Amino acid sequence: MTDVVGLLQAAAQAAADTAGGYGHFPGIGARGAVWIAAEVHLMFAAFVLGVPMFAVICELIGIVGKDEKYDKLSKEFTRLLVFAYSATALWGGLLLFFLTTLYPRFWTHMATIFSRSMWVYAGLFFIESFTLYLYYYGWDRWKVGRAKWGHWGLGLLLNVWGTIVMFIANSWLTYMMSPPSGVTAETLPAEVGLWNAIANATWMPINIHRLIGNAVFGGAICGAYAAFRFLAAKTPEERAHYDWMGYVGNFIAISTFIVLPFAGYWLGREIYEYNQQMGITMMGGFMSWLWIVQAVLIGVLFLAANYYLWTGMGRIPGAERFAPYTKWMLLVLVICWIVWATPHTIIATREELAAMGGSHHPFLNVLGVMSAKNTAVNLMILTTFLSFLIYRRANRRPTVAWARTATIIQTAMFAIAAGVVLFYGVYGYFVEAIVRIGFSVYQVLAVLACIIGVSIIDVFLVRGAESRGEIRWGMMPARSQYALFILAVTFTWLMGLMGFARSGIRQHWHVYEVMRDTSADAATPALGEAANMISLCVLIFLGLVAFIFWLGGLAERAGHKAPVALAVPPQPAAGD
Amino acid sequence: MWRTNLKVLAVALIVIGFYTMVAHVIPQLQSEVPEALALTGDVTPEALAAAGERIYSGAGGCVACHGLGTRAPNLVTDQGGEGTIGARCGSRRPGMDCKSYLYESMTNPGAFVVPGFENIMPDMRRQLADDQIWATIAYLQSLGGEVTVTASDYGTSTEAPTGAAPAAAGPALTATTEPLALLREKGCVGCHAIDGAGPPIGPSFDGMGRRLPADQIRRAILLPNADTAKGYEQFAGTMPQTFGQMLSAAQLEAIVQFLAGRR
Repeated sequence: MTDVVGLLQAAAQAAADTAGGYGHFPGIGARGAVWIAAEVHLMFAAFVLGVPMFAVICELIGIVGKDEKYDKLSKEFTRLLVFAYSATALWGGLLLFFLTTLYPRFWTHMATIFSRSMWVYAGLFFIESFTLYLYYYGWDRWKVGRAKWGHWGLGLLLNVWGTIVMFIANSWLTYMMSPPSGVTAETLPAEVGLWNAIANATWMPINIHRLIGNAVFGGAICGAYAAFRFLAAKTPEERAHYDWMGYVGNFIAISTFIVLPFAGYWLGREIYEYNQQMGITMMGGFMSWLWIVQAVLIGVLFLAANYYLWTGMGRIPGAERFAPYTKWMLLVLVICWIVWATPHTIIATREELAAMGGSHHPFLNVLGVMSAKNTAVNLMILTTFLSFLIYRRANRRPTVAWARTATIIQTAMFAIAAGVVLFYGVYGYFVEAIVRIGFSVYQVLAVLACIIGVSIIDVFLVRGAESRGEIRWGMMPARSQYALFILAVTFTWLMGLMGFARSGIRQHWHVYEVMRDTSADAATPALGEAANMISLCVLIFLGLVAFIFWLGGLAERAGHKAPVALAVPPQPAAGD
Repeated sequence: MWRTNLKVLAVALIVIGFYTMVAHVIPQLQSEVPEALALTGDVTPEALAAAGERIYSGAGGCVACHGLGTRAPNLVTDQGGEGTIGARCGSRRPGMDCKSYLYESMTNPGAFVVPGFENIMPDMRRQLADDQIWATIAYLQSLGGEVTVTASDYGTSTEAPTGAAPAAAGPALTATTEPLALLREKGCVGCHAIDGAGPPIGPSFDGMGRRLPADQIRRAILLPNADTAKGYEQFAGTMPQTFGQMLSAAQLEAIVQFLAGRR
């Protein structure tokens, strides 16, 4: 009889938990509403945190190099921020209202633990906003001498505040993923120490990953803005300015994107260390197919970025000598893309098992393993770096006496890096898995060493180099600009996809293994449904961004009457 | 300018549409929530094992590691000649019976790690309720062994709660002896083709009566690992060994006669 009472009590408790725990949102449901608000907020937040990073760097280059075009570029980046900040705050407010009304029990749990950090967050957001206003509206007032350095300091502060704000918000979501081991379902939220909850296992990896990701994203969106303005330009000067801006945006996006996988590896490792089952769910469980979709997206990114560079070489005198190589680089990229997108350890249906004749495909099994995939992605990075290098060298003729030797050394560094990558890729098939995992470190180190070594040599090599002719900024075919749009759309979609991966590995938990999701939407959706939501979020975000771009142009016309465009920037060489 | 705007919009929509399509054409796997069992004291071992199988194959997330046999031992196939998990669990640790061993494996997995594997399994008490753990143990025992889990293990009453719906008494065996309905209900058609349709994980039901006499069909159902059909060696050990407990004698006979009649 006691057992019966216990059962009834448990049932009553479960009913009570669910009854007061969730609100209803018409049409798309509570989860859909929070999903959209959170994702669009995050996209705007990534933009407003990423852009100040390179705005302040551009301003510094302008100050140190006494080059006004960088200063104007930095100001143009910042103008986009002013509008985007409002959108970030609006979507953040919407998210907060949705959480408090649709997930009150969960939100109470979070607020009980993180209340003090939430107050700090709100305060810093105020300070950050006012710093931005001072930074932007004080641009023309504090433009020379010490005042200019003070102005640059404001830009630096803007980054500091933004980074702290992001770190605080990251602590909330990473606590949901990886709460401290001492916190269990029986632990009262009030008993959880604030710092203990903040400094959880995945907090710092997410911080670093997002910091880099924001720069990538900001660069891509600014590149798309420049492309939009390039296509709408009325004068050659305007077209030249936005061509150059698009190049800078693309350079920032791709150069920071190349280091993003390393931060991703770290995050993945921390997830495995925290909970093997969570890691396996992410990489080999129901989410295993997600990585194939990711590979498709990243392949598009590499192809679009390289295409933009190769097309851009058409406006650089002397670049013709590199043209024959592009088709081979394209071939390498496509082959590597196919290898990377090959499925391997995935949950297959019985029909698929039958079709494959076992748990792995008889042929693709060989390509789908990490040895092949790591080799493919490292070769793609090397190829993209080579594209950057020949773009940079296109119109320069080195004058130093050791130029030929340096070029031979650079070529050898590429060959050695590719050799190391291929060697460990093949050798990986002949060793145990635990040994094979370690090989990826050697491959990454070889690629990084090549990138760093070749870049250092190149800086000294082209110092004082003769010019083969001025870059004809603005002389880009319109089709090249669509590559920048594809990059921006793809980065945005990729952000939505990886957000789903990070959030989805919690499965039916609000806080992993601590607070269960007992709502009707507790099951984590399949990728098709997730893709619908991601696409909707991307469309909302890009629609609003297009509106902001249009506002940016409107403000410019109202403020200046004349185009903000520079005269054709005097560019002695590509890649500055 | 409008033409340019439309072109930009078209590019964005095509790219977004392409990614959405890619995400739709790959297999659609949803992460399920472990079902609340609400088991009562009079639940049968078969029903308990059936509930456990759903947890094992679904929301319990067990197959992510145990299904491949590379990250963790495959529990439904033979390992080193010791048989499936129900057959080998009683001899894994000296002095520990099958039930105790499996319970320890799920709640304190680090206590004993099968040689050749890493200590990666989490304490399943953080994810599953007590009765879900015991149901899973019952399922694992049923794979080649005897189900010894009872209601007393998970502390339920031996009587149903007042007012509880009959369905809450746990998954029950159906009484039908209609062979096609049984083949569908027991998931046989998930691996065996019938009427030319279905995946060829196991031999087709079409023409089975021409290939095997009735007594061999019965033996193949009750002892699926005793013989392996030619051409299906790579799927050896896939078929559950629990049909003897899941089917009544009349149901088993109905299926045997039905298959023997398919020439």
